[in-house]
Amino acid sequence: MSGLEHITPGILVVLVIAGIILYRELKRAQGGYHHFIRRIPGVDAVEGAVGRCAELGRPVVFTTALTDVGPVLYACLGVLHAVARKVAQYKLKLIVPQYSPEAMALVEDTVREAYRDVGRGSSFDPDGIKFLSSEQFAFASGYMGLMHREKAGAAFMFGAFAAEALVLAEAGQQVGARQVAASVSPEQVAFFICTCDYTLIGEELFGASAYLSREPVQVATLAAQDRLKLLFLVLIVVGVLFATLQVWYPSLAAWMPHHLLSADWSSLSW
Amino acid sequence: MVTTHATDTRTKLIRIFTFLGGIYFFLYFVLPESAVASLGMKAHHEQISNGFIVIGAMALGLGLYNIVRAHGARVVFQRSGWFNSLALLIGLVAMIGATSAQWIENLRNTRDIRSVQVLGEFATRIVEDAKSPPTDRVVPPFAERVSALVRYGEDRVSLIESHTNVSVDAGTNGASSALVGEVRDRIATTRVKLGELKTVSWDQPSDESLSRLTQFSQDAAKLASSYSIIKRSHDAHSTSQKVYDFLFDGLFNQLGSAMFALLGVYIAAAAYRAFRVRTIESGLMMTAAVIVMLGQISFGKEIYEHMPSIRQWLLEVPNSAAFRAIRLGAGVAGLMLAIRMWLSIESKSFSSGRK
Repeated sequence: MSGLEHITPGILVVLVIAGIILYRELKRAQGGYHHFIRRIPGVDAVEGAVGRCAELGRPVVFTTALTDVGPVLYACLGVLHAVARKVAQYKLKLIVPQYSPEAMALVEDTVREAYRDVGRGSSFDPDGIKFLSSEQFAFASGYMGLMHREKAGAAFMFGAFAAEALVLAEAGQQVGARQVAASVSPEQVAFFICTCDYTLIGEELFGASAYLSREPVQVATLAAQDRLKLLFLVLIVVGVLFATLQVWYPSLAAWMPHHLLSADWSSLSW
Repeated sequence: MVTTHATDTRTKLIRIFTFLGGIYFFLYFVLPESAVASLGMKAHHEQISNGFIVIGAMALGLGLYNIVRAHGARVVFQRSGWFNSLALLIGLVAMIGATSAQWIENLRNTRDIRSVQVLGEFATRIVEDAKSPPTDRVVPPFAERVSALVRYGEDRVSLIESHTNVSVDAGTNGASSALVGEVRDRIATTRVKLGELKTVSWDQPSDESLSRLTQFSQDAAKLASSYSIIKRSHDAHSTSQKVYDFLFDGLFNQLGSAMFALLGVYIAAAAYRAFRVRTIESGLMMTAAVIVMLGQISFGKEIYEHMPSIRQWLLEVPNSAAFRAIRLGAGVAGLMLAIRMWLSIESKSFSSGRK
């Protein structure tokens, strides 16, 4: 099967369990159950940063950088929606520099909806959604210029980043913007920690949207992913125990199900 | 009311297509290869994959339209920053123009080279048809085909000669004088062979005539090969290629490299800020960074002989563990969100406002 790896029994089991957990948490949320979300200082800072812009009369910049259409962009749009609502309420200027033409349409729609939600649909300025470039460093250069020209009061960097991460974050530092970054790229986290006021690490990006909106669907998804992570943690501990015990008791190998779970069934006859 | 109904229908359509698209790839991922084939999915997989490329191309067109609309309006109404928009539009037009000119020239050259390559193939086909037993396939008489071959050959040889002369007049444009000499020799040889083909009687295929045609086919193939080299060499120095090289390699890539080079300065500035030890966390970070830096250089070994090993341990154990934890967490969260997207379980932020 060119271009698509085949499933293994282990992955299928994980997918089924993930589906069941998600279904269960969504049902609980629909039934009125309130999931607890721990405090995330970086997400709390979002409101503060927008408020600071209102005091200074400076624009807010939100970028999804190299994020293409997919789950990560979807998570970023949740945060963008919350930021855009605040911006609309405070009558501030919102600038969203874009890298991907495909993502741009979704971003524009999300910001427009946020303005409508707070009853300021006519204040939405489509010029604020700026396509810079779909080339990494041309985008970075455009972003730098924009930050210096507009003197942004707050910069939110959410999504997938590569080598341009530090260039973007430094541009914000130079103009004295309060910066909140969230990246699913672990390599860039260190750069953000050095240059930004707050950094959300890995999955916190996915949790930020639920934290800001407190919507049952998003919170239930967050709870479901926590349950699945707990399951993985148990599996890791069991795996480590088995592997360690196997040093003294080699016959344990026969009891380990990894041969079954990682079996290749792409060539099974139907 | 009508608008609400249209929006609802659009939302339903989007959900149906998202679900169908998701279930197609899910089944392709889950089912064994034999099942995929028996369901007829394998036969259409390439077409479906091409469909996604087409959608991507359409999105690119949409992006282009948006750029022209947004920046064009800014230039026309002279809004703030109109000069930057003008520079962007000029760059866009220049790049599209240069790339299109290069593409058209490549297309023309490929067509010219191909028209010479078919000369030898035509001769080979005549020989093969003459040797094979009669079939239902209707072909023109042998003599007529050879006559057409000679006429076409003379025309192509003249074309190659004129293109070679143009190349030489333009200072060979990168084609070496040895290569030009070789092409001219092959032109002369092919002309001689064409002259010989004219002198033979072609009423019926004979061993001699077929041998001459085979020989001509080989000579024509060599001529096509040399012509292809001289043509490509000429293209590499054409005006359209030069403009493209200047814009892309000379300007665009260099500006990208300049931006990348800024990282060196920024890393130093960021490290300075991070290394101001104000908390226990930043102290830990600085200690780890100093050990890694010292372990990387030979001087570190002079300070403490196990410094490289400590560096290695820091990178491979705590650092890798943290990286894996981040990746696992992000992967699980991505999986959950993907399932939600597939089943269109939308949150209020993205759905309620549209209704």
